[in-house]
Amino acid sequence: MLQAENTLFTIVVIGYFILTALNFAFVILKKDALAKVAFGIQTGIFLLHTAALVLRGIGAGHWPMTNQYEFATSFAWALCLVSLVFIRKYRFPVLGAFSSPLILLMIGYAAMQSREVKELMPSLRSSWLAFHVSTAIIAYGSFGVAFVLSLIFLFRGRIKGEGFWGQHIPQPEKLDMISYRSVCLGMLFLTLTILTGAIWAEQAWGSYWSWDPKETWSLVTWIIYAIYLHLRIRRGWRGKAAAWFAVIGFICVIFTYIGVNTFLPGIHSYA
Amino acid sequence: MKKIGKFLSSMPFAITLLVLLAAACAFSSTVSQGQAYEYYAAQYGERTAGLILALHLDDAFHSWWFIGLSVFLCLNLLCCNLIRLPGLLKRVRTFAKPDGTTASNATAEAEGTGDPHRLFAALHMPSVRESENGQLYATGNRAGFWGAWVCHLGILLLILGFALGQITMKQYTVYALPGQTKGMDDSGLQVTVDDLQILRAESGAVQQYTAELTVLDPVNHTEEKGTTGVNAPANLYGYKFFQNSVGWGADVRVLKNGQELQKEGLCVGEFFAISDKPELVIYFPAFYPDYSGEPKQSDPSLPVKDPAYLYQVYYQGQILGMNVLKAGEELTIDEYTVLFENPRNYTLLAVKRDVFTWLVLLGGLVTLAGLVMAFWLQPRAVCAVKEGENWHVFGRCQKGGVLFREEFLKAAAETGFTPCKSSDIEGDDA
Ligand code: HEM
Repeated sequence: MLQAENTLFTIVVIGYFILTALNFAFVILKKDALAKVAFGIQTGIFLLHTAALVLRGIGAGHWPMTNQYEFATSFAWALCLVSLVFIRKYRFPVLGAFSSPLILLMIGYAAMQSREVKELMPSLRSSWLAFHVSTAIIAYGSFGVAFVLSLIFLFRGRIKGEGFWGQHIPQPEKLDMISYRSVCLGMLFLTLTILTGAIWAEQAWGSYWSWDPKETWSLVTWIIYAIYLHLRIRRGWRGKAAAWFAVIGFICVIFTYIGVNTFLPGIHSYA
Repeated sequence: MKKIGKFLSSMPFAITLLVLLAAACAFSSTVSQGQAYEYYAAQYGERTAGLILALHLDDAFHSWWFIGLSVFLCLNLLCCNLIRLPGLLKRVRTFAKPDGTTASNATAEAEGTGDPHRLFAALHMPSVRESENGQLYATGNRAGFWGAWVCHLGILLLILGFALGQITMKQYTVYALPGQTKGMDDSGLQVTVDDLQILRAESGAVQQYTAELTVLDPVNHTEEKGTTGVNAPANLYGYKFFQNSVGWGADVRVLKNGQELQKEGLCVGEFFAISDKPELVIYFPAFYPDYSGEPKQSDPSLPVKDPAYLYQVYYQGQILGMNVLKAGEELTIDEYTVLFENPRNYTLLAVKRDVFTWLVLLGGLVTLAGLVMAFWLQPRAVCAVKEGENWHVFGRCQKGGVLFREEFLKAAAETGFTPCKSSDIEGDDA
């Protein structure tokens, strides 16, 4: 089972590589047909990636999001899912061109992690684990897409006239609104992540909130996106300032995920 | 007074507070919490260490400035919710009225000879009303007006529950070897660990620790029994008992001239004094379950293979010696013989009573509900007015103007209407 997962994972990594290359070709050659192919390929890779995660779960005998490798590959999977949904819903193929390098980076990070399957320590043997980490990856995926959209927003400001970019990137108001939709999704799931994490910590350690660095950083991330939401309400701040906060927010997400384990000690140090 | 209220409830103040709180949390997470001056002095130098203590950065999340910021945030949220309530009620009411939406405040408008009922259906607004002057009218998602308000209320409840919990919570830590009874500080209760079971997978990895407990109330001569495991706390005498972690312990026997003098259970990290010579003290700093294995580990989850006990001997506070005793080996000090046996895990229980946890959970759920309402229930109103042969149809969305306009114009086009003009795309939600 794990052997099959290994092979499938390799195919998925190559798939994301091809996807990114194809998306580059789309924006350089400016051929819409390539975007259609890219979308089809992304859907295909997403299905393979899902299968790889399922195999991992069966092979490892636990929810496949419990160590750095599993979480990284799930993070890439969620980025792929949310970007697919947004590309389709808002008919926005250029989003794929900007999001695929991010997915590639994340799956590349996953590929560098140890794929060893370890027995879960008792505190991780909880049904809350599945809820907690699944909501986290959807939140992270949504914030990743919001990050990409905000970068596009900031880039959009430099575009004059109607050329390829002018035609393929929505007007600033709409772009801001799409980015807002992805932050909303992320905010809802991050709130769920924090809540399920607190319920679980209460059961496992008898303390729903202990200011552990990972908890603290998830709160920082949550506050940053709350600031984003409030900036958008004020007319003068909607747009650029809010977009910058969505960028900072995603930097916090990445720090919460990777930086905290690397630089700060805490009970989350296993994942 | 009014000015202060206005400032306290203002959005710039809210944003400032949120930025400060995020910065405070981020910064504090980089400073190891709860350490002594010596630790900070060694890490950062004496001057910085002094500064850390002066600013309470060693316990940042309970410091006056952090609590102050949180109190201001609560005041801000409370004032904001109270001050906005009348306006909000009015807005919801106006929105429900047919004349609340006009062509001039509409987000999008169209006209034509199409059937407005089909347009309402295409926009998923089935309950259409007709006003006295023949205007057709429907609203949707009005609960969305309450989203931010409910979310803010949830945050207030959550912070309130957290603060009350912090103030009133009773918390104890009890560790004991199976068979030992320990007191629970000022609670007046005593805990006996009757048994500690360790469930292992085939690989030897620990899957679960389960402790059988008896809690005794010596004053009323009552007792309650329960089982606690990781992720499955026991509830006894209104306290929750959490199986927090485990460590090593063993029995220590002391013989005097070959006669048994003393036998006690001793956990790693504990001292014990010889009963008839209290200035002679044995300290048990570490236990190695597999001393011949490499590397030597004292991990409490490892199975016992080749046990070894590290000990230190103190006499009148001065260290006399330190060494390792393997199973069956003895330590002899004058007429005393000390031996360690029966190594086993002790359990560390976190005991807690927090009667406000439910308020925090309620706050969290209310916040969640508020978020869903604010984000996914965007209030919308659509009107259709007959003008000669044509219907003039227009719609308003409280938020998400661009997307609503697209949706409206698409539905209008599909049901026989043509767009009128470029509509105002700003929602009036500021
Ligand atoms: C951690 C704290 C906070 C969170 C998580 C939060 C959350 C939210 C959310 C989700 C919205 C809806 C945004 C949207 O629909 O796009 C909102 C709106 C709003 N918030 Fe907050 N908020 C917080 C603190 C505050 C504070 C302290 C104030 C005090 C002034 C405030 C004032 C407002 C106002 C005026 C709105 C607009 C309401 C409306 O459009 O009906 N918020 N907030």
